[in-house]
Amino acid sequence: MIDPVIIANDIRKKYEDIDAVNGISFQVRRGEIFGMLGPNGAGKTTTVEILEGMRNADSGEAVIDGINVKKDPTAVKSIIGVQLQQNAFFDNLKLSEIVGMYAQLYETKVDPIEVLSRVGLEGRKNSKYAQLSGGQKQRLSIAVALVNDPVILFLDEPTTGLDPQARRQVWALVKKIRDDGATIVLTTHYMEEAEELCDRIAVIESGKIIAIDTPNALIDQLLATGFKPEKRLREATLDDVFLNLTGRDLRD
Amino acid sequence: MKIYLALTVVSLKMYFRNRQALFWALFFPLLVMLIFGMMNFDGYNAPSVAIHDESESEASRNLIKALQGDEEEVLKVSTGTPEEILHDLEFGESRAAIIIPKNYGVPGELAVLQVTYDERYAQERAVISTVLKQVTDGLFKEYAAVPDEYLVENSINVNESLIQGQGQGFKGWLIPGIAAMAIMQTGLFTVVFSLVRFKSQGVLRRLKATPIGAAHFLAGQLTTKAIVVVLQTYVLIIVGALALGVSVNTGRLGAWFDLTVLALLGGALFIAMGLAISGWAKSEETAAPMANVISMPMMFLSGVFFPLSVMPEWLTRWSQYLPLTYLADGMRAITVEGATVTTLGDELIGLTLWILVVFTIATKTFRWE
Repeated sequence: MIDPVIIANDIRKKYEDIDAVNGISFQVRRGEIFGMLGPNGAGKTTTVEILEGMRNADSGEAVIDGINVKKDPTAVKSIIGVQLQQNAFFDNLKLSEIVGMYAQLYETKVDPIEVLSRVGLEGRKNSKYAQLSGGQKQRLSIAVALVNDPVILFLDEPTTGLDPQARRQVWALVKKIRDDGATIVLTTHYMEEAEELCDRIAVIESGKIIAIDTPNALIDQLLATGFKPEKRLREATLDDVFLNLTGRDLRD
Repeated sequence: MKIYLALTVVSLKMYFRNRQALFWALFFPLLVMLIFGMMNFDGYNAPSVAIHDESESEASRNLIKALQGDEEEVLKVSTGTPEEILHDLEFGESRAAIIIPKNYGVPGELAVLQVTYDERYAQERAVISTVLKQVTDGLFKEYAAVPDEYLVENSINVNESLIQGQGQGFKGWLIPGIAAMAIMQTGLFTVVFSLVRFKSQGVLRRLKATPIGAAHFLAGQLTTKAIVVVLQTYVLIIVGALALGVSVNTGRLGAWFDLTVLALLGGALFIAMGLAISGWAKSEETAAPMANVISMPMMFLSGVFFPLSVMPEWLTRWSQYLPLTYLADGMRAITVEGATVTTLGDELIGLTLWILVVFTIATKTFRWE
């Protein structure tokens, strides 16, 4: 691969007797949206956290933008943006204060209003975290992940629990961040999300990658085996019905 | 009926699984009942006297024993050097300082007991004076084998003098104790509640994903708590002194420095204790009762609300080593007894040892997530 921004090479991690990550290798191209799919407990989050320098792998090697994660996790952390599955921020700080505080942790200065406006939250700069809706909380955590202008943005299940409108807004945001030049790694269990956003996906099961390719190539491979869906898909989905009935506008 | 019973059982289960509710419903009232039940509030409260025994003879030991009384306590007796017993008297720890002379009990010699009272406590002075007279009379008659019906000139003389004590009474005694208790509460509870919340909400995990890391954040949190502890001590002592109308030893500018040192030591100790608890506890539901189980007994056993001297001796033998006892004693010594940080001995050693112990535990139990 030309210019891979992430190289994972045979990463392994054991928790007690369970192989959470059992020899995962892949590369991510600069500027792509790379999806990691898999059921709960498959090892997606552990893999991502090893890449982020938050967990140590038992063995294997991870290189982020030329930096070995194990050797210099701090340098890696300073060039990546991270959105965790469970994102909590301080209840009693204003959004602008939260963004400002995180900017300081990266030793950079940002205009909090400008950062909030990238995710459409500039109007809520004086609100507290607890007052936000689910979609707004997700957008705030993406805003916080952007304060250091990251080379790679890691998003762990960014749309879990969101309504279809909020989900679409997060998708648009993710595409915009990619278009602005960042590489994005995201985990999800929503297949339509992976299909909509990802340039390539890796399917993870029991700590191993069992398939890795573009969404279209994976579908083609399946069809080539003679696979027929049980129910023929119609031209529209229930998702389209819902959005057509309730509109595409955000409710928060 | 069946449904009702089933629902009651479920509701009872829920209740008894809520440890915090149980704590306030049962453990706390029981604790208060037991502790106050052990105090000797009613009945005769023996005045306390501090004795320096120069003679150290069998006769002087008999005298001390007789002053203490046989079955019922007549006087509460403590012993010490001449400086110690005068200091106790001056700062209200005792109501009389007695020096038993070297020649006490030596046949043919006239022994003179030197007794000093605090002139502010006339009633107790009268009690102690009467007890002394009766006890010395009785002992002399016993030694000289004088029949009871004869009145003899006492050959044990009592020389009485008065001083003006400096203690501030109960109010002056209470203020530094409460300030010490407040340091404990701030250290324990603000740390336990905020850290356990940050932990369970994943705030600390998110911070770990930044290059600076959560340790810096934690350091900032702890610094904030230390500042709060010092400011709160100033406020409580100033407001307490003004509201209760007592003068604490704050005319001396250095006293504020001394208080700051003690408040920081106490703050460090109880913040570390909060860290240890929040490392141990997995959720807010378990952390709060744990903090209560630790702080509540200390609140009552460390001489915050009432002196240790009203508690049974088997209890004070242990409670004098509690961390809050050292802190309360130290703060009291500085605010009402005219001590400085450099003259505090046991209190500083006790606090330092506790800090070492608790920090070691905290570094072992503390977890980021």
